[in-house]
Amino acid sequence: MTTGTRSHPGTGPTSLTAGKGWWSRSAALRRTSGAQSVLERIRAVVVAARPSAAVRYGLAAFIIVGIALLRSFLFASFPGFFLFTPAIVVIALVLGGGAGLLANLLATVCVGFVFLDIEPVGTLSPAQWAVTTLFAATNLGLTGLVVALRIALVAADTSQASLSRSVVATVEREAFLTSVLASSTDCIKVLDLDGKLTFMSEGGQRVMEVSDFNAVEGCPWPDFWTSSGHAEAVAALAGAREGRSSDFVGRASTMQGTPKWWHVAVSPIRGADGRPDRILSVSRDITALRESEARAEVNAERVRLALAAGAIIGTWFWDIPSDRFTVDEAFATNFGLDPALGREGIPLAQIVETVHPDDQAKLAAAIAEAIERGGRYAHQYRVRRRDGQYYWLEANGRVDLAPDGRPLSFPGVLLDIEERRAAEENMRLLNGELAHRLKNVLAVVQSVTRQTLRNASDVQTASENLSARLVALGAATDVLTNASWRSADLKELVERALAPHGQLGQRILLDGPSVTLQPQVAVSLVLALHELATNAAKYGALSNDAGTVAVDWRVDGEGPEARFHLTWQERGGPPVQAPTRRGFGSTLIERSLKSYFGGTAVTEFQPEGLVFTLDARMGDAALGNGKKA
Amino acid sequence: MGQSTPIGSNTILIVEDEALLRFDMIEFFEDRGWRVYEAERAEQAIALLDRHQNIRVVLTDVQMPGSMDGLKLAHYVRERFPPTLLFVVSGHAPLSANALPARATFIPKPFDLHHVLRQIERSPVG
Repeated sequence: MTTGTRSHPGTGPTSLTAGKGWWSRSAALRRTSGAQSVLERIRAVVVAARPSAAVRYGLAAFIIVGIALLRSFLFASFPGFFLFTPAIVVIALVLGGGAGLLANLLATVCVGFVFLDIEPVGTLSPAQWAVTTLFAATNLGLTGLVVALRIALVAADTSQASLSRSVVATVEREAFLTSVLASSTDCIKVLDLDGKLTFMSEGGQRVMEVSDFNAVEGCPWPDFWTSSGHAEAVAALAGAREGRSSDFVGRASTMQGTPKWWHVAVSPIRGADGRPDRILSVSRDITALRESEARAEVNAERVRLALAAGAIIGTWFWDIPSDRFTVDEAFATNFGLDPALGREGIPLAQIVETVHPDDQAKLAAAIAEAIERGGRYAHQYRVRRRDGQYYWLEANGRVDLAPDGRPLSFPGVLLDIEERRAAEENMRLLNGELAHRLKNVLAVVQSVTRQTLRNASDVQTASENLSARLVALGAATDVLTNASWRSADLKELVERALAPHGQLGQRILLDGPSVTLQPQVAVSLVLALHELATNAAKYGALSNDAGTVAVDWRVDGEGPEARFHLTWQERGGPPVQAPTRRGFGSTLIERSLKSYFGGTAVTEFQPEGLVFTLDARMGDAALGNGKKA
Repeated sequence: MGQSTPIGSNTILIVEDEALLRFDMIEFFEDRGWRVYEAERAEQAIALLDRHQNIRVVLTDVQMPGSMDGLKLAHYVRERFPPTLLFVVSGHAPLSANALPARATFIPKPFDLHHVLRQIERSPVG
């Protein structure tokens, strides 16, 4: 009450003070004694509830008759008018106007009888009539005055009682409102039209961590807000001044510096003239709410990211007891279903309808099995998507069972496994292709081996030649493997083929543009270059310390009809002699290259050194010439 | 070439685009006294068959460039030259009997030429 009184603005403290003053006066009245006390008692008697009419009139008659008898005994020789007058006044005052009139009538009759005994006996002289009438009129006037006084007293008493009741009610309401304000955890503030703080509820001071309201009283309220909250507070005040209510969410620190989020409702308090004369601001601490919302938002965002990043088509939740099947928006969109229906529940039949007819029975069996068993569920099947095509997907979920084994819920996700299945299919094809190539390579190795053995003079030579040829085949394979067996770069191929023979860049000089060759052409060229280099090392330019080999190639023209030339030219070797026996090497060089390149391959034993020239259509040697890969 | 040899003679047509393999097979059969014709593709093979009616054995690879692969060639040979002995070679998985022409033998790559030769020798002449 103390705080309320101190901090309550406007009418509050004033009315409370008024209430206190009244009680003080009542107490003072009660304590007064003496004359005032007598008057007070008379007043109390006057305004007290009156007895019934019979009692009032009986009592009035009794008093008047009593006085008349008293007069006849004590003052027989004396008319004694004065004895009746005070009685009539008292009767009118205490018992009311009616009893007063009766007393007046009776007293007048008594006075009349008294005059009958006085000369002229038995009748009333005109003078006696006049006196009697004057007596009656006087008493009548007195009675009227007394009744008027009495009515005034009663009215005063009634209004005082009602005033007293309304004051009590006001006090009770004040106490109620004050306790409501004090117990509210909202920060309820009253501001003047300039936005200065004039009042803050007790509960509000707690949440705002205000230890002394005087420290903040009169401070401009918008200054409590930081960043965008300040502008919002100023705008809300301006609105309230114009009679509008508004609300906003902002950040403000408490007086102890604790940062908090608040929801603030600002509304005008209207004065008697209906115009805003103060402003009410109610702030609610929503920090915890915002934090939980933020956490929920972060979680939802994580889920969204996870769903968007993976091959997840959508998610579903099947409430089994109510048989309500709900799906998320992505699910609905993918299958051309109404997203609103997805949130409310989609008939399972509508979902099953999209499953490929060949997969429906197996799917139903898998679902039934999962529901019976509980736990994890994964099943792959084809489903018709929005574009009308069937796509492979994997449903991946979990059936939760109640302790008694009843199925409760069945949530899960749909995974797009088109790519996975395509990759698996691709892998299968690649494996087949690889096996095919491996067998081809083995067939080539087999034929190279057989031809080497066929032409070898002895086992030792055969072994050496075969090993070197297999190394050359390996070099070609390396280049082809790097290009996934699709093509081979000529320069790399030549370098690999000739590297085992050494002195690359010194005695073996390469020059030519970038050319991409067919795999089989590549294999035969590597073997041919290997044979040429082996030959040069045995009998040609690489058999001494001075000879060189120049390998040059070029492409003349463009497109498939362009010509590809390759020249192997030896210089500085020992005197050249044409060989007497043409073995596998030379056969391979000329015949196989002719066959693979579809052109001419010529070996010339010129005096300065061996010259090998290859001339072919570019379209037959390079990619896209129709040779099998 | 061009000399006439009666049916039942040792005359073989080898259809293989891979020169290294083809040379090996040619030498193998020539070393054993066979008359050998060679073709890189089906079209060449058909021309040779038309020209040399005495060819008794056709050994063809399945994978070949051109509009006609070895399998189609085998069917063509069976139809046009019914008595011919047919060997179909492939590095791919074995072909089903349905895919092959009648009385054709499938040989997976790589294969043993001696084994093929024994099969030819066991076959009834004609």
